[in-house]
Amino acid sequence: MISLLKRLSSIRLTLLWMALLGVGAALSYDNPVDTPAWVLVVPLVLLAINLLAAIITNPSINRRGGLLIFHVALLGIVVLVAFGRLTHMEAHLEIVEGTGFDTDQLIDIRRGPLHSGKLDQVQFIQGPYTVNYRPGMVRGLTHSHVQVPDGSGGWERKVVGDDRPLVLEGYRFYTTFNKGFAPVLTWMPNRGRVETGTIHMPPYPLFEFRQANRWTPPTATEEIKFWLQLETGMDPESAWVLDAAQSRGTLVVRAGERRVELQVGETVRLQNGVLKYERLSSWMGYKLYYDPTLQWLFLTAMIGVLGLAIHFWRKFAAYPWPQQTSGDEKKTQMPGHPRGLNVALSGLAMKAGRSERE
Amino acid sequence: MVAEQPWLYTAMAAYALATVIAIRGIVRARGGAVGAAVNRSYEPLVLGLISAGVILLVMALTERWIRIGHGPFVNLFELLMSQLFSLGLVLSVVYWRLPVIRPAVIVVLPMMWVLGIWVLLLEPTASAFPPTYYNKWLWVHVGVGKFFLAFSLMGSGVAGVILLRKISRLAPLFRHMPPDSVLDHVAWRFMLLALIFESLMLIAGAVWAQDAWGRYWAWDALETSSFLNWLLLGAAIHARLTYRIPIHIGAIAILGIFVFAFMTYFGTPFFSEAAHKGVI
Repeated sequence: MISLLKRLSSIRLTLLWMALLGVGAALSYDNPVDTPAWVLVVPLVLLAINLLAAIITNPSINRRGGLLIFHVALLGIVVLVAFGRLTHMEAHLEIVEGTGFDTDQLIDIRRGPLHSGKLDQVQFIQGPYTVNYRPGMVRGLTHSHVQVPDGSGGWERKVVGDDRPLVLEGYRFYTTFNKGFAPVLTWMPNRGRVETGTIHMPPYPLFEFRQANRWTPPTATEEIKFWLQLETGMDPESAWVLDAAQSRGTLVVRAGERRVELQVGETVRLQNGVLKYERLSSWMGYKLYYDPTLQWLFLTAMIGVLGLAIHFWRKFAAYPWPQQTSGDEKKTQMPGHPRGLNVALSGLAMKAGRSERE
Repeated sequence: MVAEQPWLYTAMAAYALATVIAIRGIVRARGGAVGAAVNRSYEPLVLGLISAGVILLVMALTERWIRIGHGPFVNLFELLMSQLFSLGLVLSVVYWRLPVIRPAVIVVLPMMWVLGIWVLLLEPTASAFPPTYYNKWLWVHVGVGKFFLAFSLMGSGVAGVILLRKISRLAPLFRHMPPDSVLDHVAWRFMLLALIFESLMLIAGAVWAQDAWGRYWAWDALETSSFLNWLLLGAAIHARLTYRIPIHIGAIAILGIFVFAFMTYFGTPFFSEAAHKGVI
């Protein structure tokens, strides 16, 4: 068994698997769709086996505290990354101002086979948001206001955006550049129930000139086309703030041959009922990310580097940097010799040799 | 001419003068009897000029910060200027604390001149600070990354001396330095320090990426390149500690690792519009 482990711990194999991992990393550059995950998984598994065998059998590692910590941490990182991929979840969602988070809003869902978080317990209500723009339409800071449960039956206000995600039950919600407007409409059919809802317009200002969407009311046969003419104060040449509360929008409604421009509060009678333009609202696009290993990964990596630093610190203290004495007697202290070896710098025949393997 | 340029030009002049005086001093000291005292009177001047260059670059960076409203984190002009500052700072400390390897400065400074000439050819255009760059981990990531590059450069300077000694006409320039076996140890010691700081750079970068873009690793241009650099450095250290690699081969490996790091830092902007393309 020990003999097998020693073979598996070979440094030649370490270098070979490292080279293989390098190839896998190069192939994974920019996440090309045609590169399978095994180009990384196979070398990582081989390196993990090699590392585990070396930790068990190699006294150069397991008898040196700092080095042992570093190598165990490397192994820990591989295990944690693998566990993270099995339990992770990623998705996107668009949520309208004034509405609460619902798992039905999630799109582009990707999750590991062992994912089992408490997403059904996540609650927050989307509030208004602002996005600062610099001259030249360069996006600046996003401030997205949300309300989250305060733990005592009430709601607590929070501001998230850019590098400040909303973290609830381990799920991290990141604002994205994907955001826009959503006119709130009430549909009063000739027969049936009155309904109020929103029409999501395409992202703004990315699709400034394509703020259009279409909808067929329930029980109706005629499709309604919407076009939103916005006044947001946008000025490509100077700094401005995208703020739905300060924006106005004229809703152009087309049904059949009919074309009507609606202001907030106005209605239009169509073939199957009456449509009312209640107000202009907004929506924010979030990226959802869940990985229960994040804090452990960070902790393990830091402990590993600390172990390596302790190992080098001890080595450097035992074998000092070469020092030269002042004056005419130029001497160099050799690294690799614990008590130092003073040798004349110029011309003395010197057989320094290599130090023991560090 | 914008506010930071006079400081930058003066700093580059200080680095240039340090290079010239160091080369002149080392060339003059190449002769002399074996065991005789070496004239090192030029060394304080070289140290003073490198330190002056560092201080002048601090002024240039401060002027630019005031002018454009953010630190040197975005475009190539400010990244190069910032690297010239941090490389100069680490070089001045190493030059001060490790007198035996001082002649290696004539290898290190010309390497820095690649950056120096490059920055002088660029327009000092203002850059827009991306919203994801307000994160405090950016500072940690960039800060430890600077030490990684600086220690790689120091290792490469010493490795360069080992290789230049193979050229018979240049060997006398470095005859007052320790033998190759000692320089080999020193060069690899710098690379061990580089490994620690590169590991920290990757960790801090991953924390920043998680906060900024909702993922800690995505194999973008810089992430892939810096991971390959870490792997290369780790493999080279394993090989150096396990096998009896000839000293000059080890020196070539160190230079190769530095060139890779250099390409990671400064080559990526050729094919990536921002430090992490597409995610700002």
